[in-house]
Amino acid sequence: MDSSFYLVQLLNAVQYGLLLFLIASGLTLVFGVMGILNLAHGSMYMIGAYLAYYFTFLTDSFFLAFLISGSIALLIGILIERFLIIHLYKRDHLDQVLLTVGLIFVFNSIQSFVWGNDPLGIEVPNLLSGSIKLTDIIEYPIYRLFISGLCIIVAVSMYLIINRTKLGMMIRAGESDRNMVENLGVDISKLFTIVFAIGVFLAALAGIVSAPIVSLVPGMGEHVLISCFVVVVIGGLGSIKGAFIAALIVGIVDTFASVLLPEISSMSIYLLMALILLVKPQGLFKN
Amino acid sequence: MSLFSNKSEKLFIYIFFGISLFIPLFLDGNTFYINKFASIIILAIFVMSLDYLVGRTGLITLGHAMFYGLGGYVFAILSPEYEAVNFWLYTLYVMMISAFIALIVGLIVLRTSGIYMIMITLALAQMTFYYFADSVDYGGLDGLFIYVKPETSIFGLNFLDLDNETHFYYLCLLSLFNCFIFFKVIMNSSFGRVIDALKENPDRATALGYNIFHFRLIAYVLASSLASYAGYLFALQYGFVNPTMMSWDVSATALVMALLGGLGTIYGAIIGSFVYEGLHYTLEHLTEYWMFFMGTLIIALVLALKNGLAGFLNNLARDKHDE
Repeated sequence: MDSSFYLVQLLNAVQYGLLLFLIASGLTLVFGVMGILNLAHGSMYMIGAYLAYYFTFLTDSFFLAFLISGSIALLIGILIERFLIIHLYKRDHLDQVLLTVGLIFVFNSIQSFVWGNDPLGIEVPNLLSGSIKLTDIIEYPIYRLFISGLCIIVAVSMYLIINRTKLGMMIRAGESDRNMVENLGVDISKLFTIVFAIGVFLAALAGIVSAPIVSLVPGMGEHVLISCFVVVVIGGLGSIKGAFIAALIVGIVDTFASVLLPEISSMSIYLLMALILLVKPQGLFKN
Repeated sequence: MSLFSNKSEKLFIYIFFGISLFIPLFLDGNTFYINKFASIIILAIFVMSLDYLVGRTGLITLGHAMFYGLGGYVFAILSPEYEAVNFWLYTLYVMMISAFIALIVGLIVLRTSGIYMIMITLALAQMTFYYFADSVDYGGLDGLFIYVKPETSIFGLNFLDLDNETHFYYLCLLSLFNCFIFFKVIMNSSFGRVIDALKENPDRATALGYNIFHFRLIAYVLASSLASYAGYLFALQYGFVNPTMMSWDVSATALVMALLGGLGTIYGAIIGSFVYEGLHYTLEHLTEYWMFFMGTLIIALVLALKNGLAGFLNNLARDKHDE
């Protein structure tokens, strides 16, 4: 095990961390602006992955599948917000938990009804298949670099949208004082629909791009959801910057724990979370 | 001071326990259904402990199944493989060890509240789940088996045979009854009033000199130990434990049952468990995709009912009274 081995592990860790950020940012954005904890967020990741699988087989083109699945995810987000989440704004956390758990049940059974319970997978698209040489002997798959790149582009555009545009201004205002925003004449219900749809889209996007490198199994959404919780709790609920840093920490700890300390690898990120909570109960970046 | 908070509660408890006492007679040795009822009663104990925790203290946990599973695992790990242990002694061990674990976990999770607590309890429960699912010593995903059931003699008197389904059914029923009485007594005690005050207005309770954290911790440990007791009964009934006992959907389903029956009503936990399990059983026989209908039902319930079935029954009773 030399330094190039660790370099590959580091690239894997960063790629996993960035992917976690993509999902967690949606969760934390929706909570920050709307005060809604969407437990079905992991199901959106799952649905994204399965849609990508379905349309790749149907159209024979991953990029077409990417576009179609992304649009469907946005549509699902809008529908869920308009018909269900809209009733929750004045309710307590418990009702949010229960309604979104109900959604998990529904999406899980749709998944098993349409696609069955056997593991599925798709090939890495031709354009992005293959590897590049890092050193003389070590290669790294291009597709994983593509995922990392895409996540970084999303992170940067989220930063720019939130800090530089009018929509971002409303999102930031919505985070700090919802009533005031409404009084200033912003259509808050439209804003909420947009934010929720973006949240769902981010989770689905992560599912779509992961589809070629993970196996599609029932319950994949819940697994990701729990990891996202760890990210969001460490980073501070509602903080996108916190989610970014926490996601990278979690990615690195998780990857290196499974290499260096395989006995406790499945527990490592939870131990990390418990430790951080003991020091900072509100997470690292609570504003 | 009456044990019951309202008329419909009193009526329900009398009818429920009245009928339950004779169920083994009606079923006339049909062990499948006696076991089925016993398992729902065990579930009701678990849901009741959650109902108290969430409904009375206002602390929402999505990791309660962790203690359900731990109760079973503590017993399976403690008891020697081919030797009958004493039931009463091991009940005490299981509850004490679970209470100690609950104390440690409570010290961590109760530092937070609201959404944070939901996520942390869920994450800790998943951590425990993966710990047992990955552990070679504790059987991984297959879990552990209990080959010999405990013997239950007191001073040489042996009146309870755990291998006998009817005996076991009555043990569960008695446990549920004791649990109900226990929570009702707590609710009516001065401790229970402080807990109510904490939920109503934590700041004011603090100003009155109550240490919120200590009271919450005690409630958390009590509820968690009883959840462990339910898990221990589960292990006794089926003769095995495995990690799925503590997976997140067990916690979530229990929350749904508690809500179905009416949060914080205690007796609602019994209604919720029986209604949910009844629906589950019926739907499961009708379609493979029963989760779809269950999910839709949960969503509809959240949107339609504010206080669960217990609140609904109570409203009905009150309407009749007014007429």
